[in-house]
Amino acid sequence: MAKKPNKHPQGLTKKQAKERTEAHPLAVPFLWLGNEKVIKNFIFVPLFGAILFSVLGFFYPLHHPAPWDFFASYTLIGFVAYSFVVLCAWPLFKLLARDENYYGEGGDD
Amino acid sequence: MINFLMSFSPSFILIFAGVLAAFIPSYPGRKGLMIGAPTLALVLLNMIYLQAGASGTNEFIGGYFNVAGIELTTLRIDPLSWVWGNIFAFAGILNGIFALHEKCKITDTSALIYTGAGIGAVFAGDLITLFMFWELLALSSVFIVWRGGKESYPAGMRYLAMHVLSGVLLLAGALIYGKETGTYAFNHIGIDAPGGKLLLLAFGIKAGFPLLHNWIQDAYPKSSVTGTVILSVFTTKLAIYALARGFAGTEMLIYIGGVMTVFPVFFAVLENDLRKVLSYSLNNQLGFMVAGIGIGSSLALNGVAAHVVVDILFKGLLFMSMGAVLHRVGTAKASELGGLFRTMPLTTLFCLIGAGSISAFPMMGGFISKSMIIAAMFEEHHYVVFAMLLFASAGVLEHSGIKVPYFAFFSHDSGKRPQEAPWNMLLAMGIAAFFCLYLAFPWGGYQVLYNLLPHEVAGEAAFSPYTADHVIFQMQLLMGAMFAFTLLKRFGLYPPERRAQILDFDWTYRRLGLNIVKWIDAMWGRLGAQIKMLFGKMFGGIGRRLYQVFSPAGAFSQDAPSGMAAVLTAGMLAAALLSVYFF
Repeated sequence: MAKKPNKHPQGLTKKQAKERTEAHPLAVPFLWLGNEKVIKNFIFVPLFGAILFSVLGFFYPLHHPAPWDFFASYTLIGFVAYSFVVLCAWPLFKLLARDENYYGEGGDD
Repeated sequence: MINFLMSFSPSFILIFAGVLAAFIPSYPGRKGLMIGAPTLALVLLNMIYLQAGASGTNEFIGGYFNVAGIELTTLRIDPLSWVWGNIFAFAGILNGIFALHEKCKITDTSALIYTGAGIGAVFAGDLITLFMFWELLALSSVFIVWRGGKESYPAGMRYLAMHVLSGVLLLAGALIYGKETGTYAFNHIGIDAPGGKLLLLAFGIKAGFPLLHNWIQDAYPKSSVTGTVILSVFTTKLAIYALARGFAGTEMLIYIGGVMTVFPVFFAVLENDLRKVLSYSLNNQLGFMVAGIGIGSSLALNGVAAHVVVDILFKGLLFMSMGAVLHRVGTAKASELGGLFRTMPLTTLFCLIGAGSISAFPMMGGFISKSMIIAAMFEEHHYVVFAMLLFASAGVLEHSGIKVPYFAFFSHDSGKRPQEAPWNMLLAMGIAAFFCLYLAFPWGGYQVLYNLLPHEVAGEAAFSPYTADHVIFQMQLLMGAMFAFTLLKRFGLYPPERRAQILDFDWTYRRLGLNIVKWIDAMWGRLGAQIKMLFGKMFGGIGRRLYQVFSPAGAFSQDAPSGMAAVLTAGMLAAALLSVYFF
């Protein structure tokens, strides 16, 4: 007895075919954005960008540097500031989060 | 006809259209007014300004009214008010398009009056006219807040209380200023002027100064889909105009602005409701503007005006995209969303343009305006606030640049497959997105923005955004921040989105203050009961005594012994004799 094919005629899995059917026609060429591998490896885009612009910054230094400027300082400022904000969210959430109906007025939606 | 229309503020056209809309049962008729009235106002204000320019001046003053002996100037169009007037009228048109699908008479009426009040306040030539439009702005907008449903009612009441307070402070400040200086003209005031501090506080409430900011995050996210978009434009930007007009160069504002840019960042990262995230983001952007006003140089004020223009566009765009999500999905909570790019690709695209603009990516709106303010801060050697603005720029990327589009449209697949936004919403978002890109376009785009600005972009206000070093260092900042996001996400250090109420300063009056009032009320009740009991006992005792003496069964009614009667009579005689002898 022949095995039931689990592939779509176009070489898509059932899940991919369903996703394609449900998607807006304009979104179909961009469905790869939801791919796990793409999401996982997206990290290399900003990493490459950060390295590229840091190197470019060496060749095109600021005309009016700040007193604290050094090589790739703005990359570091962006990285540290962002990380600080996000990591602060952990203790702040514990400190400031309450039940959604804390004020007894219901949610926002 | 044209001359007649040019004899008063274009704001009256909008207010009249708003009143008319309240009586028009026809939905297309009201929608025609929603788009037609701001369009007419936009055309008129530019005609008036061009006519003034043709006569060799860059200022037009008119629309005089005499009320109780005070001459009110309802139409003062100069380079500063012209910028705000233009963008307010343009935003009114966009709001009209965005709200085309909504069949709500209250929203249509309120939105028109609200837009008219905003434009009227911007063109006010004196503080009394400003006050009248200031209050009209509050009264008309609260109905838009209340359109959010039952839950929005308390928020609307708090919103109204704050804005009425702001109006009262403005009136008090204006009266003191007018009495001491002999004029109500709304020009530079300064904090040391009579009533100056009251006026600054009045403007500060509407501008969302730290600790006075909560009405924004309280009311805006609770309004309707279209309501939040309409609200995000006028009130706060009017306050920025008032500060730029009355308090440019007030050093205190540099630090207030610096704080305003930083603190909302920490709250925005905690929030789950994406419309509330954008409300914090709004506060953060206002901080850039307030700091720029504090510097007060031509470059800084140009930066502020430019930032108002692009902020209305990109913040409106972000609120519109979240409004479209709320309209289609029924929620704007990050924890409930994800993967919507599959079925809402155009909304996703527009949201990404808004996110890129607010994050100040090159070739997008905020890159020009925010850079002008930061450059002005640097030129004045305010390095601490300069560093705060850099920090806030990374924070903006976090909450508006990444969080909003990522959790709504990407992130995990929530399994929700809503329809794309209605055509009118897409059209409004498309126009806003186009201008976000166009006004930052290096070849002929940002020059259009420069032409709108109050000071000529030359000399000390000269600013070239697209120099290699500027673009590279901006990209360094953004790429560094984006790398941090991906790294934190990869290692599970990015906090998950959870449904919760995040406490902010409004806790002091919504919980602490309310509990104190309740406690005082309870104590007052108990005190009243105790006093009542004490009086009851006291008067009860006296009554009992009197009863014991005078009642039919009392002592006076009893037969007194003859001996006692003799003693009493002798005593009374003695008293009578003594009084006769001495007096």
